[in-house]
Formats: sequence, structure tokens, C-alpha cells
Amino acid sequence: MGVISLRLKDRDLERLDELSKATHKDKSTMARELLEYGWDFLMFKYYKEGKLSLTALAKKLDVSISEALDLLKERGIEAPLGFDDYLKGFEVFNQVK
Amino acid sequence: MVFDSSTLILLAKIDLLRESAEDISIVIPPKVKEECLFKESLDALLIKTLIAEGKIKVEKAGNQEAVRKLRADFRIEEGEAQALWLGKRLGVPLAVDDGPTIKACKVLGVQFVTAIHFLINLRARGKLELPLALAKLDALAAYGRYSRKIIEDAAQRLRGGN
Repeated sequence: MGVISLRLKDRDLERLDELSKATHKDKSTMARELLEYGWDFLMFKYYKEGKLSLTALAKKLDVSISEALDLLKERGIEAPLGFDDYLKGFEVFNQVK
Repeated sequence: MVFDSSTLILLAKIDLLRESAEDISIVIPPKVKEECLFKESLDALLIKTLIAEGKIKVEKAGNQEAVRKLRADFRIEEGEAQALWLGKRLGVPLAVDDGPTIKACKVLGVQFVTAIHFLINLRARGKLELPLALAKLDALAAYGRYSRKIIEDAAQRLRGGN
């Protein structure tokens, strides 16, 4: 495990202290957990914005694609499919048949 | 039809992959196979079984340089790029439920369908009874996270409304 020092705003230090007391965890553990939560949150945001593909999301979260789909389901993040594209899909199917 | 991991796994999760594989010829590139079988799970086991039975064919995506370019141009991963390249080379639609890959399909003029189309197609062909089809739609609404408008339209189509 590496070590870094960083400056935090007073407000963030207060929050860290509050969480640390509430969860009975030391501040370093709490800060590491918050970083992980923050990372996951940001990756889901990037996925939602179309900046990450599903496979890229799975890689960033260190899970399989199947698990990434489970996580998207839990969070109810809407699929990247417009209604017009959905309608076009039927034409494609009719051509295949 | 060439499949990306997203649609393959979605159909496996709602237990419609075998029915789809019996209805349509499914081809995947090697990286999609690797991604789908990466960790042990029920959907991975089903995909592995269908590959072993020859119901899902694995076909090489040959042109590495073209695949690299697709990855760079559309910010997609190797499996998604291989599937896209293979669909384009074979001149067949891509089954995909991934946003950036769908955008790439539109730019490159590759036709695409998503998991929900397979459900509606199976119902239209009389391969699923209505109650079962609606139950699958519920599962797909959760896992596929389609918009309410799409789910409502799909339900209407399953009931024979369109």
C-alpha cells in the first residue's frame, strides 16, 4: 500500500471525521473506502454519458461483464437505446428472416 | 448474426439465449468468447455449453490493425471492436446493447438489433406463450434497463398489438 499526503478542505475533513466516528473506522480506512465509492460513482457516470463501453466499465470496476450488468440493474441506469433505434431493429430482423 | 458480449449475456441472463441460438445463426469473435467466459457464472456456463454444442460459432476477427482503429475511433474495447469488424466483414447485423458500439454501428452503417428484439421476434414466431414472454420482458426491463417507452411498446407487441 502506497502513502500520499494531500490537503483537504475543512468541510471534507469534518465529513471524514463524522463518517469515521459513525462507522467506528479509522480515518485512513474511511478515506480509502470513500475513494473506492467515488471511483465507482465516476465510472458509472462515464458509462451513462457514453464515455465508457460496457466492457470498459467492467474492467474499471474489476468485475465481469455479467457482474457489471447486475450492477447497472441495481442502479437502474437506463440503456443507451433510443426509441427510433429500437424501431429500426425490427426492420433489421425482418431482413434477416 | 454477429453478437457482442452485452446482448449475448443479457439473453443468457433472462434464459432466452438457447431459444435464440436455435432460431438464428450466432457468430462471435474470440475476444467476446473470452469476455463472456471470464468468470464462472450461470450465463457463462450456458454460453460455454452452446459453443460446445456448435450453436454459437466462434470466428476469428482477422484484421488486427482495423480492430485497433475501431477501438481508438469509437473508444470501445477489443471484444466490441472485433464484433463490429466481424459484422461489417460478414455483412450481417450486429446484436449489441452497448452505447458506444451502437454509435459506431450508426457511423459505419452496420445494422444492429438488441436483446429486446430477440424476445419480440421469438414471440412473433410463436416460440413463446404470452405469460412467459411477458415474464421475460420484466426480466429484460430490469437487466436491459430499456426506457419505459420501449418496454411499453414491447409489451404491446408481445400481446400482438403491432
